[in-house]
Amino acid sequence: MQKTIDISRQQRAIRRRENISGYIFMAPSLLFFAGFVIFPMLMCLVTSFFNYSMTDFSFIGLSNYNELVADPIFGKALVNTVVLVLVSVPFTCFFSLWVGSVIYNLNEKVTSFFRCVFYLPVVTGSVAVTVVWKWIFNSYYGLLNFVFKNLGIINQNVNWLGNTATALWCIIVILLTTSIGQPIVLYVSALANVDHSIVEAAEVDGATDLQVFWRIKWPQIMPTTLYILVITTINSFQCFALIQLLTSGGPNNSTQTIMYYIYYNAFKLNRYGYGSAMGIVLAVIIAVFSAVQFKIAKTDNG
Amino acid sequence: MKKLLAVLLVAMMMLSAFAFAEGKTEITLWTYPIGNWVNDEVVQEIIANFNKVHPEISVKVQYLDYQSGDDQVTTAIEAGTTPDIIMEGPERLVVNWGAAGKMVDLSDLWTDEAKADIGATSAALERACKGADGMYYEYPLCMTTHCMSINYNDFEKADALKYINEETRTWTTEDFENALRALTEAGFMPTGIVYCGGQGGDQGTRALVKNLYGAQFTDEAHTKYTIGSEEGKKGLQKLYDLVQEGVLTADPGIVAGDEIPLFCNGTTSMSFCWNASAEVSNKSTMAEDVKSFPMAFPSDDGVPELDGGIWGFGIFNNGDEAKIAAAKDFIRFVCDDKEQAPKSVYATGFFPARASVGDIYTGTEKEANAEFAIFMPYLGDYYQVTKNWAAQRTEWWNLLQRVFASGNIEAEVEVYSNNANK
Repeated sequence: MQKTIDISRQQRAIRRRENISGYIFMAPSLLFFAGFVIFPMLMCLVTSFFNYSMTDFSFIGLSNYNELVADPIFGKALVNTVVLVLVSVPFTCFFSLWVGSVIYNLNEKVTSFFRCVFYLPVVTGSVAVTVVWKWIFNSYYGLLNFVFKNLGIINQNVNWLGNTATALWCIIVILLTTSIGQPIVLYVSALANVDHSIVEAAEVDGATDLQVFWRIKWPQIMPTTLYILVITTINSFQCFALIQLLTSGGPNNSTQTIMYYIYYNAFKLNRYGYGSAMGIVLAVIIAVFSAVQFKIAKTDNG
Repeated sequence: MKKLLAVLLVAMMMLSAFAFAEGKTEITLWTYPIGNWVNDEVVQEIIANFNKVHPEISVKVQYLDYQSGDDQVTTAIEAGTTPDIIMEGPERLVVNWGAAGKMVDLSDLWTDEAKADIGATSAALERACKGADGMYYEYPLCMTTHCMSINYNDFEKADALKYINEETRTWTTEDFENALRALTEAGFMPTGIVYCGGQGGDQGTRALVKNLYGAQFTDEAHTKYTIGSEEGKKGLQKLYDLVQEGVLTADPGIVAGDEIPLFCNGTTSMSFCWNASAEVSNKSTMAEDVKSFPMAFPSDDGVPELDGGIWGFGIFNNGDEAKIAAAKDFIRFVCDDKEQAPKSVYATGFFPARASVGDIYTGTEKEANAEFAIFMPYLGDYYQVTKNWAAQRTEWWNLLQRVFASGNIEAEVEVYSNNANK
């Protein structure tokens, strides 16, 4: 009896020591996470209830949120942002999956080459990428006008970034080129890790390529797909640098996004409280989108 | 031996740190790109000259750009890490940070002698540097008048030189229209571009609109924006009509930073964003067949009212009296010292705020700048100190975008006036 009690005490002591060690190892990351993620989020929530500017910090309750509801530019920014997400996320996923499927079982060097090509815009600074695209879209000497005119698609130069009908689509195109790199690399890895014995067994049983993909590969790469969906959604919602460097939200707010509008209010007008309120709304929208994606992906998997 | 060496090194480091802490006051200077005040070699030379007189003060410099500079300053203000000295214009130093109580009152720099000397250049300088509370938040170093520039060669080929007064560098609104038509007929398209893709260089489009029919951008007391006046609306209507006629281009996709290269490479025949500094800094990028000829903005009576640019120094109130005193010493030296002041202004490419500094360009590499002195008599009101300036700037280019898209001047100006005057 005494021996059993001693063993139990020893086990508890070992577990306690392991727990303490675990927490010590986690502490730096936890402190970093708490200091740079949790604390700013809480601060953002708190300041969203204040009229917070360079000269004022007074509690105003839900006034910032009420103003948001009535702000037509915020409404336009919200619509533009949702369009950006709804177009770029599915396209990024499908295109990445297609490219990944085509290149993952090629010769190793060829696969690496394509991975490099598609990943290049990701590692290139957004300012450099934007400068190149600005030149491509330039309405006076841009490459796109030159090519389209020579192909007979257009008769005269088009002001791609200065036209309300085309500006947002230009932003989406640039966003796509910078978004597909990481998903392609992830899909190539995920597809290479699919259990080949199951694929071979299915093929022996007479499954078509399409059946093999949907019944065998797709379920196995579902966690990767879910990750790509969530990350691409968040990145699309947070589209900022392209807008700041290319259009400043114009023309006529046709490329205004929530992130840029937050920046404009916080840094140009020094309305930190109002900007925080928009940040909270954006966080809630992203959370809802992500939850829906988790739910759908889980159902498909399951 | 190694231990002895280590001890000696540590002792030396401690001594030097102690000596530094005891004898030197370290101040920081942030400058926006005002002429060569972004060129480290030039700025370090100015600091070296200052250190010959004030060896007890050490100056660290950081360069800002107009794309992200305001964000850096705003972040620094909220984080409590602002520099001691900042170099820019009254629209930031006085209206923005000064009005928010972040700047030190510089009244002691504005001696009677300084007021008289600076006032002899323009009374607008002192008014612009003073906040609504009567305190001085800026001490000016230099100033200029913003103008436009035409490609003399294009005008000559289009037989449009007859529409400009080469001697006074002025022209009327009617001359401007005729010149645009002549250029278009001669095949010079686009003639000029009314850029409105953002706030960069918006002083050019403001000056263009208000001069066409003599509008005022704000009221005299700088309390509200008045481009909604009949003259202002007429100016906007004229630009819209010229764009519709096809003799002028409106582009909501570019800002002045994009328009200037188009002028320099010969794509357009005029730039609406020009000044003495632009003339110097763009010289090397000018195409062979481009001959820049600075002009005042066209006006109905041929007497333009040009927008001014004022640049100088302000001090952030960091609560350290020693640093504030050192910062004032630096400003006095750079702006008031008889030998240094001309060099400080020369680095900007603009004109001295102090009349006593005189002509600094004749006989120098920047001799071309001297020709811009011709625009000084046309210097108008410095209205950039009007309340809500930052928000107004966004409203302005959005107004232009909406005007050129819809042509409904009345309604769009009303939206602008309501938002800017909130």
